[in-house]
Amino acid sequence: MPQKPPARVELLRGTLDLLILRTLLPGPSHGHAISKHIQRTSEDLLQVETGSLYPALYRLEANGWIDASWERSEKGKRARYYRITARGRKQLVSEQSKWNAFARAMGLLLNPSEE
Amino acid sequence: MNSVLRKLTWWLQRWRKEEELRQELQFHLEEEADERRADGLTDDQATWAAHRDLGNMALLREDTRALWTWSLLEQVAQDARYALRTMLRSPTFAGAAVLSIALGIGANAAIYSFMDAILLRALPVFDPVSLVEVNWRSRPIAFGSQSASRGTEFVMHSIDGSVFRDASGARAGIFPFPAFERLQQSSAEVLSSIFAYYRARAVTVMVDGEAEQADGEYVSGDFFRGLAVSPAAGRLILADDDRAGATPVAVLGMGYSQRRFGSVASAIGQPILINNIAFTVVGVTPPGFFGVDPGRNPDVYLPMHANLLFEPGAANTYLDENYYWVQMMGRLRPGVTLAQAQIALAGPFGEWVATTATNDAERANLPVLRLEEGASGLDTLRRRYSQPLYVLLAMVGLILAIACANTANLLLARATARRREIALRLSIGAGRLRVARQLLTESVLLASLGGAFGVLIATVGIDVLTQLLANGREGFTLHAELNWRVLFVTSGLSLVCGILFGLAPAIQSTRPALMPTLKDTIGIEPRARVRDGLLRVNLRHALVVAQIAISLLLLVGAGLFVRTLSNLHSVEVGFNRDNVLLFDVNAPQAGRSEAEAIIFYDDLRRQLTDMPGVRAATLSHASLIRAGRQLPISVNGALAAATRILGTGPGFFTTMQIPMLLGREIDERDRRETLPVAVVSDLFAKTYFGSDNPIGRQIRLDGRAPQDLEIIGVAATARYGGLKGETPPVVYIPYAQVTFPRLQQLTYALRTDGDPLRYVSAVRALVHQADSRVPVTNVKTQAAEIDQTINQEIVFARLCSAFAVLALVIACVGLYGSMAYAVVRRTSEIGIRVALGARRRAVIWLVLREVCVLAALGLAISLPIALGTSRLLESFLFDLKPNDPGALAGAVGILLSAALLAGYGPARKASRIPPMVALRND
Repeated sequence: MPQKPPARVELLRGTLDLLILRTLLPGPSHGHAISKHIQRTSEDLLQVETGSLYPALYRLEANGWIDASWERSEKGKRARYYRITARGRKQLVSEQSKWNAFARAMGLLLNPSEE
Repeated sequence: MNSVLRKLTWWLQRWRKEEELRQELQFHLEEEADERRADGLTDDQATWAAHRDLGNMALLREDTRALWTWSLLEQVAQDARYALRTMLRSPTFAGAAVLSIALGIGANAAIYSFMDAILLRALPVFDPVSLVEVNWRSRPIAFGSQSASRGTEFVMHSIDGSVFRDASGARAGIFPFPAFERLQQSSAEVLSSIFAYYRARAVTVMVDGEAEQADGEYVSGDFFRGLAVSPAAGRLILADDDRAGATPVAVLGMGYSQRRFGSVASAIGQPILINNIAFTVVGVTPPGFFGVDPGRNPDVYLPMHANLLFEPGAANTYLDENYYWVQMMGRLRPGVTLAQAQIALAGPFGEWVATTATNDAERANLPVLRLEEGASGLDTLRRRYSQPLYVLLAMVGLILAIACANTANLLLARATARRREIALRLSIGAGRLRVARQLLTESVLLASLGGAFGVLIATVGIDVLTQLLANGREGFTLHAELNWRVLFVTSGLSLVCGILFGLAPAIQSTRPALMPTLKDTIGIEPRARVRDGLLRVNLRHALVVAQIAISLLLLVGAGLFVRTLSNLHSVEVGFNRDNVLLFDVNAPQAGRSEAEAIIFYDDLRRQLTDMPGVRAATLSHASLIRAGRQLPISVNGALAAATRILGTGPGFFTTMQIPMLLGREIDERDRRETLPVAVVSDLFAKTYFGSDNPIGRQIRLDGRAPQDLEIIGVAATARYGGLKGETPPVVYIPYAQVTFPRLQQLTYALRTDGDPLRYVSAVRALVHQADSRVPVTNVKTQAAEIDQTINQEIVFARLCSAFAVLALVIACVGLYGSMAYAVVRRTSEIGIRVALGARRRAVIWLVLREVCVLAALGLAISLPIALGTSRLLESFLFDLKPNDPGALAGAVGILLSAALLAGYGPARKASRIPPMVALRND
């Protein structure tokens, strides 16, 4: 019924959250860096749309999985840095195992010949 | 719940959040641009590429914001704004709807405040819940057969106070003083205090040479301690003050001390004369305190035993075990229940009362002690007003129902007009619930506005109703006010109304057949819509029928009350009520002995007779309308049980213009020292002497000193004691010759030239000159006094007529609206009929027929209801059966003509539709 959250967010929701959490695991980062990191690490296969990234960040913050604070970037500019929380780690573990199971299932179904 | 909290905190700091998001996105853009520059783009190109990459920034912000704003709240605010705009676009509609709702809710709030004041308010004292009222119950008592001095069937040989009768027997809260003493001794275990009080009625209070009548209350020494009241100034009455021979002290009510002494503090220690005895003011009660009866507000509290100063003979009453007069209340000890206390007290009282019985019959009819909750004080107000208020509440409830039906009808009509708009919204994806919610927001907003104005109307209504109910009576104590409870109920009521009358249109208009409605252009009636349209019109018709039905109920009620009033107005009182001035004078309270008082009263009467403009003057122990004195009169040794007494002065029958049928009236020859005489009413003569001539016969008046009275005249039967009851046989006796019971205040009656009220100041001056210690009280005309006795009927007739007219107007507006709409819908059909040669009269009939059907349906529904429920009004009617055919026929007639009148406008309009216009319309 509410028309606002558009299909794009819905489309990526599960995976984007997972990717953000995973990206933040080594240490805090700001929005732009998160987006670039996902892009580079996936060898440009995944394009994180800015229109999805920031709502996702705010949603994760609202869920208490990540924290945010204003800090100086390496270039000395004020940037909003996100870091993963304890609850976020827990969430990451459970999401990741679910994703692994899902990926394995997809692999089994899509490539049966490898058996 | 967690998320609600989070959203709330975010919502509170949303401006900061917004700014943070802006900065963050700005940073993102700069980073992106830097990166592009590193790839070799120029500054401009890099910035643009970064922006392109980011996409629609506004949408992004919107999406992010959706996470932390309270979208529901915002939508409601949006809906409200939109609703306001639509309302402003059709101010007539909104005005009509708000006005009718405001009238309905205002009337309800006003009546509810009175119910609140009467039924729900507790005494303004400490811990009112632990107070108990002491009562007794017994078999029904018939006092008519009982003489004041002889042994009888009941231990209550004489009483001073009220005994109430109901289905299960008699109930009263008055006891002999020895019973109070007995309960004082035996109640210590269950009651922390028990106290007594006794109404002193009017006392004459003289302050600085100004005499005035005040409402007095005798209280026992424990009264204020038991109620746990602390004084506003000075001290209250203590146990030591309530002894025979104690220094006379008085406590004043707050309002009274402010009025007479200017301030509370300056009253303390002041000497005042009460009934010409010197008292000292020792204290003032706190603000808001009115004693134990919400129906009263005593000005002066005196120790109980102070009545010995006024009447030395009253000492007997403290010892008499068969004289019932003092009322009692107690306070439960913590942890003791009402039932436990009742058991603990009923035993000792039962033992005591058994010893007061003087014969076997009395022993078989002993009263039984009962405790009742005392938190809200005595129930005099409830007894008097609760039933009338329930009737009024039912009436205003019906008004509100009509107003709701009318508004629902208006909303339905508007929803029909807005069908295209709503269909459009639905077709571009608005949720049905969302649209329904928006329509509901509109109706709730209408209702809330109505409720707000309703509160204004209620404040006016409370004033008007107070004035109507008081009708010029002094010391009217029923004070209603708007408090938070009333406001709470009112706002709840508006909300319920809003949802109620908004629901039907909301549900109906959110499920139109989308395509035909969208294709529809104004004026064309596609086939697909006809069924749908009929359905909607039928619901509107149902609402109109409901309004007609409710109007009929109110009309029948109004008819019954108006006829009751006219019956009461046409009651033959047997005397001339016009141009008579009545007022009370109390000479004994100014310190006169009985003999002196008689001389004073007679001198005053003579002086009043000599006043210019006064044709005749007389006096009696009470006015005919207020009188109600019963003394044991016997004829030939047999008690004339139903007989009532009026003590009168000379010239009574001349002044009141009651014709003498035989013999002479009481005149100046009948003095204290001459032979006692009596004039009897025609009814008395017929009842006890048949066709014999009673002149010269003797009747016997028992009492403390039995007297034989010689009948000297027979007067035509006149009303005695109000308009409604049966007129009793009456014996008129000279007040100077029969001074049992004690001579008290007398009521003067002056027959004047022209308006009696013109003589008031002259009368006051005359009495003040005769004795400045004697106040003139209860000044009113005879006509006004009669009106006050039928005040409830006057109020009902006026209010119910007003309500019925209001309901009728609202219903007719509704009827007119639906007929006008029907005519517009059928314009082309009617045009064709006219083109084919239909007469104008036939067209008018076409429309009126529908009106008649609706009205007939309404009548068919409500006539049985009216017949069934009008019985509930029986106790309010006078000389009228509840299903009075006149009232019913009148109501039906008025309703039908009003309906036809409302329908005639649209019908006439229909008949004037030029066929060409109608046909071109299609």
